[in-house]
Amino acid sequence: MKIKTIAVNGIIAALYIAITGIIQPIAFSQIQFRIPEMFNHLIVFNKKYFFGIVLGVFLANLFFSDLLPYDLYFGVAHSIICLSLTILISTFVKNVWARMIVNTLIFSGMMFIIAYELNLAIGLPFWETWLFTAIGEFVVMAIGAPLMKAIDARVKFEKMM
Amino acid sequence: MMEKMIFGRYLPMESFVHRMDPRAKLVVITLFIGVIFLANNLLTYGILVLFTFASIFASKIPIKFLLNGLSFLFWIILFTFFLHIFFTREGDVIFTFGWIKIYEHGLQQAIFISLRFFLLVLITSLLTLTTSPIDITDGMESLLNPLKKLRFPVHELALMMSIALRFIPTLMDETDKILKAQMARGVNFSEGSLKKRAQSVVPLLIPLFISAFKRAEELAIAMEARGYRGGEGRTKYRLLKWKGMDTLAALLVILLGGLLYVFRS
Repeated sequence: MKIKTIAVNGIIAALYIAITGIIQPIAFSQIQFRIPEMFNHLIVFNKKYFFGIVLGVFLANLFFSDLLPYDLYFGVAHSIICLSLTILISTFVKNVWARMIVNTLIFSGMMFIIAYELNLAIGLPFWETWLFTAIGEFVVMAIGAPLMKAIDARVKFEKMM
Repeated sequence: MMEKMIFGRYLPMESFVHRMDPRAKLVVITLFIGVIFLANNLLTYGILVLFTFASIFASKIPIKFLLNGLSFLFWIILFTFFLHIFFTREGDVIFTFGWIKIYEHGLQQAIFISLRFFLLVLITSLLTLTTSPIDITDGMESLLNPLKKLRFPVHELALMMSIALRFIPTLMDETDKILKAQMARGVNFSEGSLKKRAQSVVPLLIPLFISAFKRAEELAIAMEARGYRGGEGRTKYRLLKWKGMDTLAALLVILLGGLLYVFRS
């Protein structure tokens, strides 16, 4: 692995935590809009962001999660599976917008992992929880897609790696 | 918030649990997550409560401190409790008030699931309270080592985690600075519709990403200049040592699993 890839991924994970810790409580403390979820769209620009996103999720759960033991396993597993699926599908889909739509659908659909986690942890009904968490994830990822595209217009995520 | 972020939840103290190898703690927690599901009656839950509080006692973490950090959890537990008490309709009716009916099995489920969740969070909180994030990184790197045979980049992953931990305070300061600068220019992040708030975050994230990538670039150049050539043949500054008490702790969880299996109904 290239040194720059390691450095960028480490810093992306740190940024994930910084945003979770500082912007989230100020901008969205009353709304269930998890702003760092936008980071999941980084994968559509370059698959090398995989480890940075997964590490960000892992550390955020380690620092902030109230469902700690479950989130550490299920939250991270959810990210790994979804990002891997997006990477796989991205080999056939080249358009960034199309990739973002695919990524949003994958992350929302795979929320059954989180529904299962909540079912296991606090006995929430699986199907209803899947539906509600999937809707929540879909909204966050759908709003996050144009925002990440707007940021990409200035930052050029693909070339940064 | 800043303090919580910079140090994680780690509370440096001198105790049996603090001295344990981070790998042992990760193994114990993983075993505990599996074992806890064996409990299904009063006796087995009693054993779990004893084990959990004995562990907290061994960690010397003040109960009050532990509970203070879990205030949000109280609402989840309360929600879980009422969800099961009102919606589990099995067994005999033990209480009726208007349309509200509480069933025997519902009450039992409510107590057991809430208690199980509470105990699990208590015991796993001990991991982050007694282990520094960098020790957790070392422990994970060591436990994931067998995956190297499958060409999984274990060393690189641990290095990324160390870089992340090193840069969290720096990037938090930077985020805070940019946030205040934008607020001084009149951006209101906490009011307006979801769309408006989300849009207001963009001018915040652009300079943040640019500065973060600049740091990554500088870091990569510095690492290259100092001759970083990957994990092969590298020695470690922090050495992990698996001691007798680590084996004992792992055996205790296995014993706990055995007891729960024997006494479960």
